[in-house]
Amino acid sequence: MLASRLISRTAARSAFIKQSSLPTIVSPSTRWRRGYASQTEEKDLVIIGGGVAGYVAAIKAGQEGLKVTCIEKRGALGGTCLNVGCIPSKSLLNNSHMYHSILHDTKNRGIDVGDVKLNLDAMMKAKDTSVSGLTKGIEFLFKKNGVEYIKGTGTFASENEIKVALNDGGETSVVGKNILIATGSESTPFPGLEFDEERVITSTGALALKKVPESMIVIGGGIIGLEMGSVWSRLGAKVTVVEFLNQIGGPGMDNEVAKSIQKLLKKQGMEFKLGTKVVSGDKTGEKIKLEVDSAKGGKPETLDAEVVLVAIGRRPYTAGLGLENIGLELDDRGRVVIDSEYRTKHSHIRCIGDCTFGPMLAHKAEEEAVAAVEYIKKGYGHVNYGVIPSVMYTHPEVAWVGQNEQELKAANIPYKVGNFPFSANSRAKTNLDTDGMVKMLADPETDRLLGCHIVGPNAGEMIAEATLALEYGASTEDIARTCHAHPTLAEAFKEAAMATYSKAIHY
Amino acid sequence: MASLATACRLSARLASRKVTQDVAARGFRTSAASLAAQNFTMPALSPTMTEGNIASWKIKEGDSFSAGDVILEIETDKASMDVEAQDDGILMKITQGDGAKGVQVGARIGVLAEAGDDISSLEMPADNSKPAPPKEAKKEPESAQPKEEKKAAGSSSPKKSGQKAAPQKYPLYPSVEHLIKENGLGESAISEMTPTGPQGRLLKGDVLAYLGKVTGDRPAEIAKRFEHNSHLDLSNIKIAKAAAPAGAAKKDAVAEAPKDLQISLSVSLASVIEVQKRIESTIGTFMPLSTFIARAADVANDELPLPSNYKPSADELFNQVLGLNTVSPKVSRGYYLPQIAALPPSSFTGVAPKPKASQMDIIDFLASGTKKSTKTAPKQQASGASSISTGSNTFTLTVPPAEQKRAQAFLSRMKTVLENDPGRLVL
Repeated sequence: MLASRLISRTAARSAFIKQSSLPTIVSPSTRWRRGYASQTEEKDLVIIGGGVAGYVAAIKAGQEGLKVTCIEKRGALGGTCLNVGCIPSKSLLNNSHMYHSILHDTKNRGIDVGDVKLNLDAMMKAKDTSVSGLTKGIEFLFKKNGVEYIKGTGTFASENEIKVALNDGGETSVVGKNILIATGSESTPFPGLEFDEERVITSTGALALKKVPESMIVIGGGIIGLEMGSVWSRLGAKVTVVEFLNQIGGPGMDNEVAKSIQKLLKKQGMEFKLGTKVVSGDKTGEKIKLEVDSAKGGKPETLDAEVVLVAIGRRPYTAGLGLENIGLELDDRGRVVIDSEYRTKHSHIRCIGDCTFGPMLAHKAEEEAVAAVEYIKKGYGHVNYGVIPSVMYTHPEVAWVGQNEQELKAANIPYKVGNFPFSANSRAKTNLDTDGMVKMLADPETDRLLGCHIVGPNAGEMIAEATLALEYGASTEDIARTCHAHPTLAEAFKEAAMATYSKAIHY
Repeated sequence: MASLATACRLSARLASRKVTQDVAARGFRTSAASLAAQNFTMPALSPTMTEGNIASWKIKEGDSFSAGDVILEIETDKASMDVEAQDDGILMKITQGDGAKGVQVGARIGVLAEAGDDISSLEMPADNSKPAPPKEAKKEPESAQPKEEKKAAGSSSPKKSGQKAAPQKYPLYPSVEHLIKENGLGESAISEMTPTGPQGRLLKGDVLAYLGKVTGDRPAEIAKRFEHNSHLDLSNIKIAKAAAPAGAAKKDAVAEAPKDLQISLSVSLASVIEVQKRIESTIGTFMPLSTFIARAADVANDELPLPSNYKPSADELFNQVLGLNTVSPKVSRGYYLPQIAALPPSSFTGVAPKPKASQMDIIDFLASGTKKSTKTAPKQQASGASSISTGSNTFTLTVPPAEQKRAQAFLSRMKTVLENDPGRLVL
């Protein structure tokens, strides 16, 4: 008779007073406990390195529903880019530019300023605030996407297990079905000049000098050297850039653009010694002495400076990772050998970012992170390496994407050029910021955009449009027939496109 | 064998879908050209098929057909397959009759008109679908791909034909649209152009190539170069040092979906019934059992431990990162409703267990709060719901594994509330 028929009942919320005698089975939340991954639990993905490549991969993997752990030894997420690279340098570049403008560029704008003083400590503090805000933001995103974050140094114990020496002391280990190496890069040292980060500095030291040096030599006229050189030059140092090649900006920058930005930076007070080789350095004296030699065999010379910034490039950083424990290969430049799907010879171990092939750029690492996780989760990912923009945040900025003129020439590829100077752009004119130009390279027959090179105000933002155009295979006519707001700097971009496929209106 | 035949048929249907696109595409056209009948060409039923024999037409000239009907049967060296119609239409003319041998893919085999067309007044279209040379025909199924770089050198005449392009799904680029209008080209011309842009997009160069204004294979050459540049150059890697041979690779794996758990607890309703009687006898109101249970559930749902997969809100997380709230939320309100079933009668005699001392205290306390005089012993009486025993009942919840603790806490609270002091639920 009493058949066990199931009944479900609906409860309406009543204003019942909370009872204190109710039993509470509340266990302490274990979710945020950090760094104590149990040895038994196997993760879907373990990422070594919490830089741009690592943290983006971790968040993406969390979003894709993978159980993911990220190991970072710095104690702060974001890697070189966020802690000692792109981000703090942009803070110093922007603020030093403001200081420099106020000193030199207010009178003809109708602004009379009184006593202008530099407070370097406060400027550094503003930089640190920006950095810590952003690294905390990533930590927040980790929590939001369920990424386990272990602060420590990871070493391969076996093909699936990583031992972690925790920053707080102690050791743990994590086991992953998939492992992602994203350990990044470090500054290449100059033989004979040991880094002390006070007198002989890398970009890291250049972001934290205690006072403005009287003189500074920058070895290497690439993007990092020119950006940091700009900062200290604006703040009052006498900066000399020594570059082995015959042009600044590194190999990717278009010759014409490189010449143009060199002229502009020289006007701001930077000295350049191109085609010059640093033979040796001596830091025993009060000033650091550098023996330099003309690369073409000219007369030797001695330069001296209070501070020497070594910015001759970066090299992959895989020390202490224990790659030899599992037989992973490096190439002759220290890069982890991968295939087109970022797999190492152990197909469950992948590698992305600066520690492997391709340009050492944060946004390239970011693209690879997403692609690598998609390969793991969906079996297909994609990065278009032909369309990765580069930006140098000097003033004016320099930005480019696609191929440059000398590359096209060398490869015997026909092209046509369209130029438009910012001096003919209304917005640049009113901003009293008219240095620079937009240069476009396109196929002479089909008009397909091959590359775009900009030197000028806001070039770094403007390059996004060129990147989009390249990604979609647009012709310069497509750009020229797209409406651009007036008056904007972007009109110069449109006019350069017009100049490429027919004629610019305002030039 | 049967499954093979099915597979063949399926692939034939898939393949013919692409090839008979010119038939299907008619519906989208509104220009005058669309009123003309369409050439029906030999479809490629497999990626390697270059030619085929027509076994038999299943429809006679002048007959109409509807989508899904088998139009004809084609024999290849491997199998014979049916070609199905994608749309309704009329078979206007058969140009290659039953038994035609070695018909090249892309060659005209018939003429189709749209359903409802008056075929007597329709003009026969010119046979412009010349069979592609065998070399090219091999590539035919891939013609939707943008990277069709290699084309026969001879085919770079201004007006190319036979190249079937995927219809442009995207808005045309401004330069493309401009050139098309400028040169008075129609929709049909667009479909004859070979798109070389990303994802089969039609570029300015493709239109120029179609118009013969640039070398015909120029756009494809550029596309090839872009394709090459889009990859990391992993050639000529110089390995720094020799390494030990690799072990076995592990397969990528994805977490499996967790199963729901069933959690149950036996709860005695004896004291509830007792209170129910008491209330009825004192103030003359009958409180249904469901009210007790609903209110007990409401109380028990308050401040349950978080499920182990609890996702905190963005604000909570951000406050945590900033160190603003040192205490993260450990409890939240639940929304559980237990399913209740009586225990089998054999396990329970039907006599309510004697209330415990502590229960008596509360009831005394309750009774003193109302009327002292009524102190009748509980009578055995069938409760309202036949399936609910006055004694022990099983309360069951079905929850995901992450909520196991949460559900257990809920049930044990239900038990406490209902067994110990049900009187408070209705006060």
